[in-house]
Amino acid sequence: MTASPERQMELTLPMVPDIEIAAARAAGNLAREIGMASASIDEMAHAMIEACINAREHSGSQDRRIYVKITGTSLGEGNSRIDIWITDHGRGFNVTEARSRRQQLGAVHKRGWGLQIIEAHMDEVSITTSDDGTTIHMVKYGKNDD
Amino acid sequence: MTEELRVSVDRRDAGAIMYTKGYINNVGGEEIANRAYELMDGGVRTLLLNLRETKIVNSIGISILIEIIEKMIEKGGRIAFCCLTPVIHKTFQIMGLANYATIFTDEDAAVKELAI
Repeated sequence: MTASPERQMELTLPMVPDIEIAAARAAGNLAREIGMASASIDEMAHAMIEACINAREHSGSQDRRIYVKITGTSLGEGNSRIDIWITDHGRGFNVTEARSRRQQLGAVHKRGWGLQIIEAHMDEVSITTSDDGTTIHMVKYGKNDD
Repeated sequence: MTEELRVSVDRRDAGAIMYTKGYINNVGGEEIANRAYELMDGGVRTLLLNLRETKIVNSIGISILIEIIEKMIEKGGRIAFCCLTPVIHKTFQIMGLANYATIFTDEDAAVKELAI
């Protein structure tokens, strides 16, 4: 049987500096409500920050909005799951090219690490992207705080 | 909304300790860089960044930290970090920063090892 989400939140955020902090705080609050441990919340927050920055900096969206959906689910036995969808209505991007970037010290381009950080901090990541925009779906599983 | 970074510096005979408080993003990273370059121009070759009061970083801020490390290495110096949260430590490792700067658990251990 699949557990249904106990908490759900949807946000429409303007693409302004530091808006990623508002998104991460909202997700963190929801995760705390279902008891997720702070270490997992910290990782989720950093992934969310990178996803929002990618949308703001690289999407080229005309409406200058980030659409965020967050659901929280208790899985029983002290486990929980957070699902996050970050959507922009920009021009999309080449996922394979983005994943292949591996910068080193001294390289010309030190930026572009967002996707690697997201994938390292989250348990599941899937990306749907086209000329009409991008949605990144991220999942974090966590043991609950005692 | 703003999440300004605050930076303070403890200048010592053999180097300096820089304390950060707040979000290390592009603006915060530039603030750290400006202070670090001032210290380098003043002859500092051993710099410890204590991130005890920084709980959030992003990849743009870290890329600026990498630029600071590169400049210090060019000058024959070294930069180290201490008091990182687990998630910031993990993010530093993902971006390779941990390969070029020593990371200490606490300030006392860093000061002893760096002799500052």
